[in-house]
Amino acid sequence: MNIPQSGGSGEQKVTGGQSEVFIKSTGITESFGAAIHALGASQLTDGVINRSKRMMLDTLGVGLLGTRTAVFNKALKYSQLFTSERSSSIWGRSEITLPPCYAALVNGIAVHSMDFDDTWHPATHPSGAVLPALLALAETLPSRPSGLDLLLAFNVGIEVQGRLMRFSREAYNIPERFHPPSVVGVMGSAAASAKLLGLSPSQCSHALAIAASSAGAPLANAATQTKPFHIGNAARRGLEAARLAQMGLEGNPSMLDMDVGLGVYYNDYSPSTMPDCASGAFRWILEDQDVAFKRIPAHLAMHWLVDAALAARGKLQEAAWHFDLSQIQRVTLRVPPSKYINCPFPTTEHQARHSFQFNACSALLDGKVTVASFDPAQINRPALKELLSKVEVKTPADNHPSFDKMYGEVQIETARGENCTARCNTFYGHWRKPLSQEDLVEKFIVNASSVLCTEGVEGVIDVIENIEKVTECSVLDSYLRMTSNTLEQVYSTGMI
Amino acid sequence: MSNSRTPETIRAQEYAAKATASKIKVAVMAPNTKGMMQGTIVDSSCTITSPKSRIANEGGAAQMVVFTEGEQPSHQLAYTANQDEIFTCENVLYSNWSVAIKTIRPAQAAREVHQSAVKILKHPALEDTVTASFGQFISEIKPQHLSPVVLQRSKRMVLDSIGVGLIGSTTDVFDLALQHCQHMYAPDFISSVYGRSNVRLSPTLAAFVNGVATHSMDFDDTWHPATHPSGAVLPAVLALSDMMPASRKPSGLDFLLAFNVGIEIQGRLMRFSNEAHNIPKRFHPPTVVGPMGSAAACARLLSLDSSQCSHALAIAASLAGAPMANAATQSKPLHIGNASRLGLEAALLASRGLEASPLVLDVVAGVAGFSAFYEDYRPQPLVSPHDGHAFLLEEQDMGFKRFPAHLGMHWVADAAASVHKLLVGVGPGKVSPDQVQDILLRVPLSKYINRPFPESEHEARHSFQFNACSALLDGEVTVQSFTPGAISRPELHALLSRVRLEHPHDNPANFNLMYGEVQVTLVGGDILKGRCETFYGHWRNPLTNESLRKKFRNNAEVVLPSAKVEQLIEAVDVLDRLDDCQDLLSQLQ
Repeated sequence: MNIPQSGGSGEQKVTGGQSEVFIKSTGITESFGAAIHALGASQLTDGVINRSKRMMLDTLGVGLLGTRTAVFNKALKYSQLFTSERSSSIWGRSEITLPPCYAALVNGIAVHSMDFDDTWHPATHPSGAVLPALLALAETLPSRPSGLDLLLAFNVGIEVQGRLMRFSREAYNIPERFHPPSVVGVMGSAAASAKLLGLSPSQCSHALAIAASSAGAPLANAATQTKPFHIGNAARRGLEAARLAQMGLEGNPSMLDMDVGLGVYYNDYSPSTMPDCASGAFRWILEDQDVAFKRIPAHLAMHWLVDAALAARGKLQEAAWHFDLSQIQRVTLRVPPSKYINCPFPTTEHQARHSFQFNACSALLDGKVTVASFDPAQINRPALKELLSKVEVKTPADNHPSFDKMYGEVQIETARGENCTARCNTFYGHWRKPLSQEDLVEKFIVNASSVLCTEGVEGVIDVIENIEKVTECSVLDSYLRMTSNTLEQVYSTGMI
Repeated sequence: MSNSRTPETIRAQEYAAKATASKIKVAVMAPNTKGMMQGTIVDSSCTITSPKSRIANEGGAAQMVVFTEGEQPSHQLAYTANQDEIFTCENVLYSNWSVAIKTIRPAQAAREVHQSAVKILKHPALEDTVTASFGQFISEIKPQHLSPVVLQRSKRMVLDSIGVGLIGSTTDVFDLALQHCQHMYAPDFISSVYGRSNVRLSPTLAAFVNGVATHSMDFDDTWHPATHPSGAVLPAVLALSDMMPASRKPSGLDFLLAFNVGIEIQGRLMRFSNEAHNIPKRFHPPTVVGPMGSAAACARLLSLDSSQCSHALAIAASLAGAPMANAATQSKPLHIGNASRLGLEAALLASRGLEASPLVLDVVAGVAGFSAFYEDYRPQPLVSPHDGHAFLLEEQDMGFKRFPAHLGMHWVADAAASVHKLLVGVGPGKVSPDQVQDILLRVPLSKYINRPFPESEHEARHSFQFNACSALLDGEVTVQSFTPGAISRPELHALLSRVRLEHPHDNPANFNLMYGEVQVTLVGGDILKGRCETFYGHWRNPLTNESLRKKFRNNAEVVLPSAKVEQLIEAVDVLDRLDDCQDLLSQLQ
C-alpha cells in the first residue's frame, strides 16, 4: 500500500500497522538474518575457500605492515585508554592487548592505513572491516572457534557486503558521497560477528539494524588520516552491534527494506532478498566476482595509471637512445572523472595515495612505485614536483569511473617532438588478471617481514593455507605477535 | 527596477538596515533586457536610489553586492568556497570601494548573507573556509561572550538534561547499554554514571551511557530546527570534566562555555539546510549534528587550537549519521549516547594530532563532506567571536517536554486534554470509549510519528494516535502512560480503533509552524473540538523556572534523595559562579 506524500484536506486512512506506512518492501532484512544464521561450512565451495584464504593472507600482511604507520600509532595510544578482562591481540605487538572492540579498531586501521588492502566490485574494501573484528572476537570466546568457523564467518561478512553493494546502481561507480567501507563494512562486520557468536535469525537482523546506525562516513575524509579509521570503525562498531544484539538490544527489523533505513546512504536504493541458503538458489558472490589485490599502497585506480606510465616510459626509452626525463614537456593522463583521486600537488602521504598525478610521475621518474614512494622525502623531491607541474589530466567520455570499466592512459611529449602513449586496460592484480599465488605470498612475506620474525611469517602462511583444518583459530594470534627482536627494540626506545 | 520589491530587494533592504557601519553599502543587481547586470544601491533608510553601475554577468541571476570602503580586495576573492555561490571582485566601480558580489538564493537569511559577504572581504585568503571559521570560533570563544540570556537558558537546559538523564537511568535500554560497557570493558574509575553511585566508567563510555539515559524516554529538550541538543553535549562535557585532574578542573563558567559551544555548533549546522527546518525524513538529526556538537564542546574544554578544533569536527563527521528507521526502537537512545561518546572521541583523537579533511563543512563538487547528510546543503562561515557573534540560543529558545514522548505529541496531547475537560470537567475522571464514535486528528504528515497501534513504549512515544487517546482517556499524558500496563489497556485500544488522521495543508511538519487539532464525534452526533497552537513548554510558551524545577524534582527523585536533588538544583543555579565545576560533578557521584 502506498501512502501519498502530499497531505490533503481529506482524510488519509491508515488501515494497518506501522509496517504498511513505513516499508518499501518486506522480508529483506529478515532474509539476511536467516541467511547469516543458517549458512553452514558445508556450503563453502572450493572456489570460495580458495579466494577467501587469499584475502585473509593479504589482509594480514597489509595489516602487519600498517602497524608501522603514524595513524596506527595514534589509534593505538588512544585505544590504550581502555582495558578489559578478556582482551585481544594487536597484530605485530607482542606485549599489548586491548578490549576486543578496540583491537578490532586498531587492527582495522592498520589494514587500511596505507590503502594497501583488497578492493572488490562494486567498489569497497571488504576484508579490512571483517577479519580484525573476527580475530578480536574469536580470542575472547570461551567456545574457541575453529579455523573453519572463522572462514565461514569471514565469508558471511564478505557476502553481506557484496549483497548490499548490489542494492544501488550508483554503487557500481567510484563513490562521491559516502565512503563505501563505512556503509557496507560495518554491516559486514556485524554479520560476521553475529555468525561467530551463533546468534539467532532475529538477533542477526537486529545486529544489522543496530549496525546501520553506525554506518556512513562522508568521502571528504578520504586522503586524510581519518580514512583508515573508516575501516577500523566499521570493524569495531559492527562487532559492537552484534554484541548489543546478543544482549537483546533491538533496532528496526525492516532496516534493509526501507528508504529511510539503509536506503538513506543511496540515491537509488533497490533492495532484494537473500536467497534461501537451504535451497539451491544460493550462490556466493565471491564465486562469480573475485577481488583485486594491490601491488602498490595506493587507491586502486592508481594501478592502471602506474602500469600505463611504466609502459610509456619503456617505449620512450626504447625509441630514444639517451632518454632524459628533463626533456619531458608534457604528460597527459586520461583517467575517469573522480574528484577525490585527482590531486595535482599532494603534500601528505595520504594525498599522494589518492593522486593520479603523483602515481604517474613517480612511475615515470623511478621506473616503479613501491611502499617507499610514499615517504615524505620522496613526495617532496624537487624533480617530482617539476614533473607534476607538466601534468595535464583529461577525462574522456569513454573512461567510466568504475573499477570494472575504467582504463588508464599516459601520453608523454618531449621537447624534441617525441610523442608516445601507453594504455592499461587491466593491471596485474585486478580481478580479471589475478595475482599468482606465488606473487600473493611474496607480497605477504615482504609486508609481514617488516614486523614479524621468520617463524611468525611462516606460521601465518601455514595457518591460513590450512585454515579449514585448524582446530583453534586463535593459533593465528600467537604468530601475529611474533615480532622480530630488532623491531621490538626500536619500538621500545621510541624510535618509531 | 527602481520601485520593484522582489525578494532580493527586500532582503537587501533588510540587510542594508542592519549594516549600520558607514563603510558598507548594498546594491541589488539584476539582469536588464540586454542581459547586462544593472545595479541599484539600497540605502539604510530602505529607499532605493537610481541605478549607478553595471556589471557584466553571465549567469543572469539576481545578486547582492556589498561595497566596502577603503579595503583592497585581492582577486582571491574569486575563490569559490562554495561552488554554487561565486564571489567575484571588481575594483573598477568606484575608486575607493571594493565590491563582493553574492548571488542571492531565496532561502538565505539576510543576516547570514551579511556576515559571509563581509567576512570574505576581510579575509580573502584561501584558508578562509567555512570549516576553518568553525575551528577558529571554537578555539577563540571566551566566557565573556556569553550573554545573561544565554547563561540563563543554558543553565535551564543543563538542569533539565540532568533530570531526564537521572530518570532515564531506570530504563531497560539504559541497563542494556551499561551492561554492555561493564561486560566489554574492565572497570575504570574515572567518570560517573547517572543514578549509579557505585559505578564509574572510562570517559567515552560514561558519555555513551549517560547519553542513552538522556534520550531513553525521549524526554530531553528539542530545539528549532529540530534536534535534541543537550543530550549529545552534556554527558560528554561531564565525562571529560571528570577526567581532568583535580588541579585543572574547569570552572563552572568554562564548563558552561563548552556546553554552549556544543549547542551553538549544532544550531549553526542545522541552518545549513532548509530541509532541516522540518521534521526529518532520512537521517536522525542528533546523529548528524550531535557528534559535531559534542566534538566542538570537548575541543573547547580541552582548549585545542583552531586547526585541531577543525580536525575534531572533521573526525566527528566520519562518525555521524544514522537512519531514521531506528526511531521508535531501542536503538534510538543509542543515537544520542553515540553522538556524545563519538564527539568526545573525535576531540581526544584531534588532541593527539589525528588529521581529517580541512574542507569537511565546505562544498566540494564530487567529494561530499558534511553535505552528504543533506539534499540542499548551504554552508555559511561562522562569525569570529571578536566580530560581534551572537549565540543562536539568544534568539531561539529551547522546547522542554512535559511528558516523555516525541515533541510533536505535545500538541495533540494538549488538544485532546481540552476535549477530555469538556467531557468530564476538571479533576479526575475517565472518558468512556462507549461515548466516542470517531476521533479525528489534524496533524502534520510525518510517517515516523504516525503509528496507529504502537506495541512497545518506544513506538508509543512516537504515535500521534496513542498520545491523543491517552490524553483523551486520562486528561493528561505522564511518565506512567508509557508503562506496558497502560499501553495495553482495552479502553485505550477501543479509542485507538476510532482514530482517523488528516494532514491539512496549513499544518506543516515543522515544530515552529505546526498545530494539533483533535475532533471527537460522540455517539449522539455531538462534535467536540480541541486545538493546540503552542503547548506549554514550547519555545513560544516556555516553562516557568518553577515548572522546570518541578519537572526536575519529579525526575531526579526517582533515583536520588531529596536533599541531593535540591543540592543539584542549587549547583546548576550558581554554575557560572563556581570556581571549580567539581561542585556540580560531586553532586552526581
